Amino acid sequence: MSTERPRRVLVTGATGLIGGRLCEVMALTGAFEPRPFVHATGSAWRITRFPLDCAIGDLCDGASVDRAMDGCDAVVHLARGDDAVMQRGLENVLRAAVTHRVSRFVHVSSVAVYGSQPAPDSVWEAAAARSDLSYGNEKLEQEHRVLRYRRRHGLDVVILRPPNVYGPFASFTLGMVNTLRSDGVAIVDGGRNPCNLVYVDNLVEAIFLALWRPEAPGQVFHVTDREPVSWERCITDHAALVGVDVPHVTAAELAPPAQERVWRDSLRALSDGEVQRSLARIPLVRRWFQWLPEPAKRAVRARLHRWDPVRRNGSPERRFLADHPFIAGQKRTVAHSSEKARRLLGYSAPVSYDEGMRLTEAWLRQAGLE
Amino acid sequence: MELAAISDLNASRLQYLRRRHRLGPIAFRDYREVVGRVDAVILALPNHLHAPVGVELLSRGIHVLCEKPLALTRHECEQLCQAARSTASVLAVGFVARFFPSTELTKQLVESRFLGELRSFDYEFGTPGGWSPLSGYNLARSTCGGGVLVVSGSHVLDQMIYLFGDVDVVSHADDSRGGIEANCQTWFAATVDGRPLRGRVVLSKTRQLRNRLRIVGEHGTLEVRGGQTRSVTYLPAGSTLRHVITAAELPPADAEPNYFQPQLHDFVNAIRTGAAPRVDGEQATSSVVLTERCYAIATALEEPWCEATLERLTHAGPHLATDGTTGQPPVPASAS
Repeated sequence: MSTERPRRVLVTGATGLIGGRLCEVMALTGAFEPRPFVHATGSAWRITRFPLDCAIGDLCDGASVDRAMDGCDAVVHLARGDDAVMQRGLENVLRAAVTHRVSRFVHVSSVAVYGSQPAPDSVWEAAAARSDLSYGNEKLEQEHRVLRYRRRHGLDVVILRPPNVYGPFASFTLGMVNTLRSDGVAIVDGGRNPCNLVYVDNLVEAIFLALWRPEAPGQVFHVTDREPVSWERCITDHAALVGVDVPHVTAAELAPPAQERVWRDSLRALSDGEVQRSLARIPLVRRWFQWLPEPAKRAVRARLHRWDPVRRNGSPERRFLADHPFIAGQKRTVAHSSEKARRLLGYSAPVSYDEGMRLTEAWLRQAGLE
Repeated sequence: MELAAISDLNASRLQYLRRRHRLGPIAFRDYREVVGRVDAVILALPNHLHAPVGVELLSRGIHVLCEKPLALTRHECEQLCQAARSTASVLAVGFVARFFPSTELTKQLVESRFLGELRSFDYEFGTPGGWSPLSGYNLARSTCGGGVLVVSGSHVLDQMIYLFGDVDVVSHADDSRGGIEANCQTWFAATVDGRPLRGRVVLSKTRQLRNRLRIVGEHGTLEVRGGQTRSVTYLPAGSTLRHVITAAELPPADAEPNYFQPQLHDFVNAIRTGAAPRVDGEQATSSVVLTERCYAIATALEEPWCEATLERLTHAGPHLATDGTTGQPPVPASAS
């Protein structure tokens, strides 16, 4: 592989949050020359503010990937999509990277590879990755594919695992703001667990370093903000931006996950007085219930009354769903560390949480979203 | 009226259209092959090709319905108009919003002084993303002519001129960094009934805006929302009432009509009768001139989140000196 420091970088997923900001910073600092790979030209508005040499194509079309790679020294792979894009698309990018002898392949993965309840040792990158999330599994399969190219072809690959990426244009930020507005978020059990955040520009710094630092190839790095932030602080700060109060609840007050809700909602429907009266008129149903042993009868009755809604300020039913990402995420107890990136790459996470939130607020205000 | 030919450089798209609409052997990759086979052309090529192809067709006496914007520059627009005049061909321009009953209704209400003395107007149109042309002509100023001001704003500018007459640009700020702008905010000034009128246009391709025109007068406010093609809403001053106004002669409709049909009929009628089309080349030139004026005085929209961290991020770059050794970090490029 080439030992030259890369100059021209193919950026897949360039129309997304991270890719868009990466291209912006590359263009504004002149540190690298980005070549954005664009699939849907109508989604490229952030990056076409700059006079960049965009490559139009489809990651699942090997020929268009090959054309885009021509003349590039390195790749940052950020593209997301369906299974074909995630695996076949990545394969095409890896193959083209080998063919064109690029000096560095930076693959942006995710801490979702550790699943919804990461093991305690996943503070560090050496922990075994296994996921109960479909997205986490896709990312894990991608990581394996990327590392195979290092073993078989000597491609200088680097894997970065960011957590929740926040900041201007971030879906985490927009999702949080919108969910807060619709009263869909509560702070659960004090929200003490770490939120695992990275401000988008800190991730850009890590990508920059991964592109050229000689210590990077073959390594996997967590990329997080400097200071850990609790869910309580993160949610409260976002709530302050949109001017809403956030309720505190206990885990026991949450509406159960979707699968349980099917039972709950069915049983609640049955518990409706009118329905019960109708059912009671069906002799077989009446007899079926009477045949049940007393403990079973008690269980059915208890089930019907178990999930009382969380009530706020005397308002009618308001439920906080246990499997909503901003609720489920609060159960994650692990704070992933980016100490390895600091030690090997000189990663500094230059934007503090407070500054990141200030910049996010400025964007929200201009976008009319605060 | 008969579909006599279709033309596109993309062979697979041509093949698709032929199959989809069961067309005969009327598909051509070279547009020049349609000459001699057609009386009129709907010109929906990328913006930068409107002028060269349009002038060629009009010069051969072929009538042209050109997609908006008419061309990239005033000079190109004048070439097109001149070509149409020289062969007495029809040059119509596809500002389809002119065929919305709500546009005509707004014009009538403004002209009849329904609102009394006009105070201000305000256009806000924005939605993240947009059409994705396969050719990618929309990615660059050289092929698109500009950003959101051209793509979405040309409709707004055309309607604004139609409603308020001669309009001048007071200020224009956008977020272009040498490419095409995704967001812009422009202030305009007009003179209506001898009195000055100011208005603002905000356009975005990265965020959802309220998508509506508001005209404020001494008696109240007229509002036309995006997609409100058959009526306008009147909000009397000092009242909480909202009145939806439609034209008396408007027939009821279960579904939104396809306004490309009346546009096409207008074009054909102009060819057959010699009447001017609803939007001719000269009218369409006005919005291109206004666009040019906006870009000529453009200033940068403030984006503090964009620049605040650049110097620190620069230090993470490879800092290559020209001789290949590690040198000083580059100075961040100008934000303007």
